[in-house]
Amino acid sequence: MTLQLPFTLDHVLTLLVVIPLVGIVPLLVFLRDERAAKQVAIVTTFAELVVSLVMLAQFRIGEAGFQMVDSVMWLPSLGIRYEVGVDGISVLLVVLTTLLTFISVLYSSGGAIKTRVGEFMLSFLLLEVGMVGVFIALDLFLFYVFFELMLVPMYLIIGIWGGTRRIYATLKFVLFTLAGSLLMLVAIVAVYLASGDAGSRTLSFTDLVADRGRFSPDFQFWAFFGFALAFAIKLPMVPFHTWLPDAHVEAPTAGSIVLAGILLKAGGYGLIRFALPLFPLGAQAWLPIILLLSVVAIIYGAAVSTVQKDLKKLVAYSSVAHMGFVTLGLFVLNAQGGVGAVLQMLNHGVVTGALFLLVGIQYERTHRRLIADLGGLANRWPLYTTFFGIFVLASLGLPGLNGFVGEFLVLVGTFRYQGMPVSGLIWGPIAGIGVILAAVYLLWMFQRVMYGPVREAYKALPDLSAVEVISAAPLLALTILLGVFPQPVIRIIEPSLERMLAFAAQTAVAAK
Amino acid sequence: MSDLIGVLPEAIVTATAILVLAIDATAGSRRARPWLPWVTVVGLAVALASPVAYPSAGLAFGGFVVVDQFTAFFRLVFVVLAAFTAIVAPTYLKREGVPDAEFHATVLFSTVGAMTIALSTDLITLFVGLELMSIPVYVLAGLQRRDRYANEASLKYFLLGAFSSAILLYGFAWLFGISGSTELAQVASAVGKAGLASPEVVVALALVTAGLGFKAAVVPFHQWTPDAYDGAPTPSTAFMSVAPKAAAFAAILRVMATALGPAQLDWALVFALLSVVTMTVGNVVALAQPNVKRMLAYSSIAHTGYILAGVAALAAGASAGAAVLFYVFAYGIMNLGAFASLILLDLEGTRGATLDELNGLWSRHSAGALAFTIFLVNLTGIPPTIGFLGKFLMIQPVLDAGFAWLAVAIALNAALAAFYYLRVVVHMFMYDPEAKAPRVEAARVLSFSLVVVALLTILLGVLPDPVYAFALRAAEPVVIR
Repeated sequence: MTLQLPFTLDHVLTLLVVIPLVGIVPLLVFLRDERAAKQVAIVTTFAELVVSLVMLAQFRIGEAGFQMVDSVMWLPSLGIRYEVGVDGISVLLVVLTTLLTFISVLYSSGGAIKTRVGEFMLSFLLLEVGMVGVFIALDLFLFYVFFELMLVPMYLIIGIWGGTRRIYATLKFVLFTLAGSLLMLVAIVAVYLASGDAGSRTLSFTDLVADRGRFSPDFQFWAFFGFALAFAIKLPMVPFHTWLPDAHVEAPTAGSIVLAGILLKAGGYGLIRFALPLFPLGAQAWLPIILLLSVVAIIYGAAVSTVQKDLKKLVAYSSVAHMGFVTLGLFVLNAQGGVGAVLQMLNHGVVTGALFLLVGIQYERTHRRLIADLGGLANRWPLYTTFFGIFVLASLGLPGLNGFVGEFLVLVGTFRYQGMPVSGLIWGPIAGIGVILAAVYLLWMFQRVMYGPVREAYKALPDLSAVEVISAAPLLALTILLGVFPQPVIRIIEPSLERMLAFAAQTAVAAK
Repeated sequence: MSDLIGVLPEAIVTATAILVLAIDATAGSRRARPWLPWVTVVGLAVALASPVAYPSAGLAFGGFVVVDQFTAFFRLVFVVLAAFTAIVAPTYLKREGVPDAEFHATVLFSTVGAMTIALSTDLITLFVGLELMSIPVYVLAGLQRRDRYANEASLKYFLLGAFSSAILLYGFAWLFGISGSTELAQVASAVGKAGLASPEVVVALALVTAGLGFKAAVVPFHQWTPDAYDGAPTPSTAFMSVAPKAAAFAAILRVMATALGPAQLDWALVFALLSVVTMTVGNVVALAQPNVKRMLAYSSIAHTGYILAGVAALAAGASAGAAVLFYVFAYGIMNLGAFASLILLDLEGTRGATLDELNGLWSRHSAGALAFTIFLVNLTGIPPTIGFLGKFLMIQPVLDAGFAWLAVAIALNAALAAFYYLRVVVHMFMYDPEAKAPRVEAARVLSFSLVVVALLTILLGVLPDPVYAFALRAAEPVVIR
């Protein structure tokens, strides 16, 4: 079933890559004109959002394979293709990207960014190219290019517009990410060499997945390691998460939104799209460690969140816990877990993006991020409190809001897990404790920030402005909508996810 | 006559050098100054285009030179680097009062030498080319006669360069002793007959490796590099950090793949180890440099290490040679651009900028900061740039030849290097200018050409196929069979 549009856009995915690039041209012209730069950026990201919605409307739900594929030879002497396409896993992530980018740009235009506005918008458009590209690239070379393209703009966003320790934070972010991705580059080249004899080599996902029988178990072990390490750093998994709190705390609000909302998802997406289907045996070998680290991340992230004094840091550490659910769901290797993991990625993007937005809004008024310095805001800011409350409840997994659906499915998948080293009946309850802990730290935080006596200095501060409401409203709508009607979204994700899991299972059987 | 047509580009570059000197002598330095860079560029362009009008291929001068795709590729590299140097240099030359004509002519003479190396099929041609390339570079290093750092640079470079030439020549003498010929092909068959691990081959191998290692700045033969690069006038540094290195790799490929190709099993592992040591030492020492010029000097040692990995992997076939050629091309442009970006800052003498002196460059000279950033991103190896493609293409033969550990070492080193490259970006974009910051020159031609070349590195990073296909064809003559 497809939503009927009166027209169809050809090459819509390529268009999504091109639009932000086109937007950069007028932005360069108006680099020193703040108003014009803001307008160009808003128009560009809005156009991108609209086109991505058209793409979503053109998506044929229920089909497992890639759709709207554009494929041309890019580097003939290497056999590398420019190949883009979406399936049920990526299509929603693309829309999430364009939505969060638009919201970030819109919010930043409302006065949050005061210096070098043109450069900020330029970085954001460049970042959008990389983020959208990561989710649609079907050639590993192209994927790597987009994956790295996200790095430099984010580096600048944190380093120029960030907080006091921004330079330490941004260098740490880049070096962690780069160390992982360069090792992945070695793995990609190894895959390229193993894909065939000279002259017939390829990095196209479709070809590679068909020929993955060529990859010996030893090869898969190391190739999976190379890929998974890069994604584990990006995601981030414990113990590679230490860059995340620093980067989040120092990043400007818009930077935090896309960092948590989208950049982290590139890690989870990379695992399900490339690492699992291409190296099933490697995944099997590393599976016990990943499951263990996932559960550790859930408990550790929650425990550390509980004791945070800094509001932004609390949300950052809660991301570590939430991403633990993503890896847990992916690596129990069943449909419930996988669908839950993809949903969790989407929901986390929406909810955590929104939380960072609201924390940023609050910080801009009070200039305080320490929880102890806040309090009693509920009486002053009814609108703000409503938004913040709903997102907090969604984040802790209240049924009826979107956060619940993903975590619930992941837990169901986990309980059904039968494999090594111990069955899901052990992993499941431990992960469940994480859900309870989430309620503890989030509600406790909400209580301390929103209730109690209000400080004199905060009494005159205004509630949400129109721009801020417009920025947060779509996220609120999605939070409720995805919570009440998750079924349409599950129908989009499920066939493609099962296809990926079938890839991940098939060779495991064939090789035995 | 056909012999002369074979070396027509080299002849034209020589003629251009003489023309530059003649214009300067007849028209007077002041009147000639604005024209000299353009005379140089046009001469180089004509030289590069001349084989199209008068094509020639194969052996010439009784087997002393050969014109093949390998030659053609390196001609392109050397001409591009010399032309880029000619365009970026004048700002500095004028500011520091360095004689223009001498600078351009010396660069051109050095270019002729470098091109000769790419032509050689004979140890004698190769050695003559190497010296013709090196001696003008010693002059370039000391062109700023009243600057004591330049004097130190020139003297160190000359002494160690002469020393290494002697070692190399001694190695060539051993090869002649083994084979009774100076022709690379004859040497190869004699080395093949002498067999692996025969003592005389090992001695020749060690001497040749050391001699060429000096020229390319391979650790542990790199000691001259930081002082020479640091003390030389910045445009000279820009040129001598790339062209002699490219020439050295042309020589290494010709000698190692052809003359010593049969002993490949003897030297491949040695080169792989040298490669790891070179890149690691270069990067680790670069981390600790507060002066950007000196930091770039150490970074160029690290890049020698990356290129050397491709030489170690020559067993993988044409893809290894092509990787070396592509990297040399990419490195040449990005490293020259990075050094040339420093010309924008008006510093005392030949001294490079400290990190703090670059603070806030973006707000003071956006074009220069943008170009410099793009060159640094190239050097880091982040896509979509030719610098990234160089690394991507390099890892491929290295893995193919079975040196997985070397590929991992390249990756880890690139991550390490990112720290000091990006630190420069931090200072340019994220700090406010210091009170005593050096003056930044507007230098329209310089900053325009830097931005254009920087954007070209991105364009070629997105569409590298023409260059890589050329490199693949050019690597055919240096495939070890």
